[in-house]
Amino acid sequence: MAGLTLRNVCKKYENGFQAVSDFNLEIRDREFIIFVGPSGCGKSTTLRMIAGLEDITDGELWIGNDLVNYREPKDRDLSMVFQNYALYPTMTVYDNIAFSLQVRKVPKKEIDKKVHEVAKILEIEHLLDRKASALSGGQKQRVAIGNAIIRKPNALLMDEPLSNLDAKLRAKMRVELAKLHKRLETTIIYVTHDQTEAMTLGDRIVVMNKGFIQQVDTPAMLYEHPDNKFTAGFIGSPSMNFFKLNVGNSRITDGIELTGDRISFGEMTGYKARILKKQYMVRQVIMGIRPEHIYTEDVYEAKEDKNNLVLIPVTIEAQELLGAESILYFRLNGERYCARAAAHCRVEAGDQLKLAFDLNKAHFFDPEKEFNIIHQFQ
Amino acid sequence: MKKKQSFLKKLEPYGFLLPCLAVFAVFLFYPFAKTIYLSLFKTNKMGQAKIFVGAGNYLDLLKSDSFYNSLVVTVIFVIIVVFISMTLGLIGAVLCNRTFPGIRFFSTAYALPMAIASASAAMIFKIMLHPSVGIINKLLGLDINWVSDNRYALICVAVLTGWLNSGINFLYFSAGLSNIDDSIYERASVDGANAVQKFFRLTIPNLEPIIFYTLVVDIIQAFQSFGQVKILTQGGPGESTNLIVYSIYRDAFFNYRFGTAAAESIILFLIIMCLTLIMFKVEGKGKGGN
Repeated sequence: MAGLTLRNVCKKYENGFQAVSDFNLEIRDREFIIFVGPSGCGKSTTLRMIAGLEDITDGELWIGNDLVNYREPKDRDLSMVFQNYALYPTMTVYDNIAFSLQVRKVPKKEIDKKVHEVAKILEIEHLLDRKASALSGGQKQRVAIGNAIIRKPNALLMDEPLSNLDAKLRAKMRVELAKLHKRLETTIIYVTHDQTEAMTLGDRIVVMNKGFIQQVDTPAMLYEHPDNKFTAGFIGSPSMNFFKLNVGNSRITDGIELTGDRISFGEMTGYKARILKKQYMVRQVIMGIRPEHIYTEDVYEAKEDKNNLVLIPVTIEAQELLGAESILYFRLNGERYCARAAAHCRVEAGDQLKLAFDLNKAHFFDPEKEFNIIHQFQ
Repeated sequence: MKKKQSFLKKLEPYGFLLPCLAVFAVFLFYPFAKTIYLSLFKTNKMGQAKIFVGAGNYLDLLKSDSFYNSLVVTVIFVIIVVFISMTLGLIGAVLCNRTFPGIRFFSTAYALPMAIASASAAMIFKIMLHPSVGIINKLLGLDINWVSDNRYALICVAVLTGWLNSGINFLYFSAGLSNIDDSIYERASVDGANAVQKFFRLTIPNLEPIIFYTLVVDIIQAFQSFGQVKILTQGGPGESTNLIVYSIYRDAFFNYRFGTAAAESIILFLIIMCLTLIMFKVEGKGKGGN
């Protein structure tokens, strides 16, 4: 077990495509770190560079105190779970789990003990004699994990390990992975495009886009304090609503007026308004509001402090019932947005109603560079 | 009416098979039946059955030293040929199973023997193996009369045949290798396996079905080698390269003993059939055991 350090790591393919740019990250020992981002953002490439399956074009990769850029994968002492599990189809489950020890010439007795130990943890003892090709998806996944945890590697790498499972099994394995991490006390680097996995599993999350790190933080910090518009939009489901607005003068001292094309959010006060007034007066900003910070009228009425809550009439386009709650899709100014509402709130498509936008919870981003204005100038 | 229709319906598939069956009948079934028939007779010079001898031809063969020699020579020949053609094919395929500049040239080079006729290859080898002007003796600085020395003649013919057969094996193995999922090699690298371990624990087991198939085909093909013997050694020196098929040819077209030749053909057929059946049985057992 060891920590990992990536310094200015870049990956440029021969055809000139820059997959990863200037990747800097310190991964602590025993940390569960998640790389998340849309497909093609470079997260898998980074993982494969750590594993040694891809050459590092530029930068340094340290495992513990060793620079391992030029070390063969087999000498890095890592283990990896692949997206398609990559089980050895001709071998039995037993050999699949034991392979990494067998090639290291560990005594057979010791291997046998360890295989049974691991199989017990993963509840696959009854499958040990089966051929790997005869297993179901969930079983294959467990075998792949079994192979990865039978040694005590420097770090455990996982490349979208749950993406080939059905929704129910995925939820179950998510819980088990979290338990496993506690039990193994090993560093885990986990790649996923699924933000639910990222939010529930990770100690820290690395959000990536187009080869660049967007933000590295704990799940809560990412959700509540996104550094930029990309992170804000990527983390959270349904994703954040964005409005392009102008910051204008207000009659209230310290306040500002937020107006869009044919839409007005009216007066806004408070510390965010002060920062905007100072830095972005008469300029454009992008305001982001999460769906749960747009309330229906009854919730609005129940609020005691109505400061910075703006009621705006909207046209409902659709409602999605999720059981415990529902998602309202509505049109405002020609654009489509969504809000979270209680399950008992029943509306029809085409209904006109008023929704309250909670500007206290809003985020503000620079329209060009997309950074979080409030973080920048706080 | 309905009954008639359903009867026609039943005939329909056989109708589609008919052209193919007709070709088989003319070129396969009839000659085969005729061979069995001939093997029971003494024939005249025109190859017409004259005197019925029953199992006489077979009994003569079993008593003939020359026939036993043929069998032994053929078995040794087959073993060498299969070993060389499989090894060459496999090594070539493994080496070419990656991308680097010029890979197409190498692939073509390894597959090329497949496209060379055995007769022309034998001609080229004859020149290369020539005792005084041949390149082999020149390069090795030796003075060996390769094809006329009964210690080397069989090996020469076998190596030539092995090389000729390696081309198609190369193709089979290449196809097999490209079917193996790359990610298992990646996982093996991370798991700590070196190249040798990967080859023996991943490549060979994953290629097993194809290796088995090529083994069967190679053995059958090696048993039937003829052209190279005809051109390179004519069964000699002595009878050291008198393979079964060549011996059949000699009996039929030099000695005009068509009956004996037919009996030899039938025995060769039985040997190949038994070998194939045994191999499939063994392979099936291997599968069932797992």
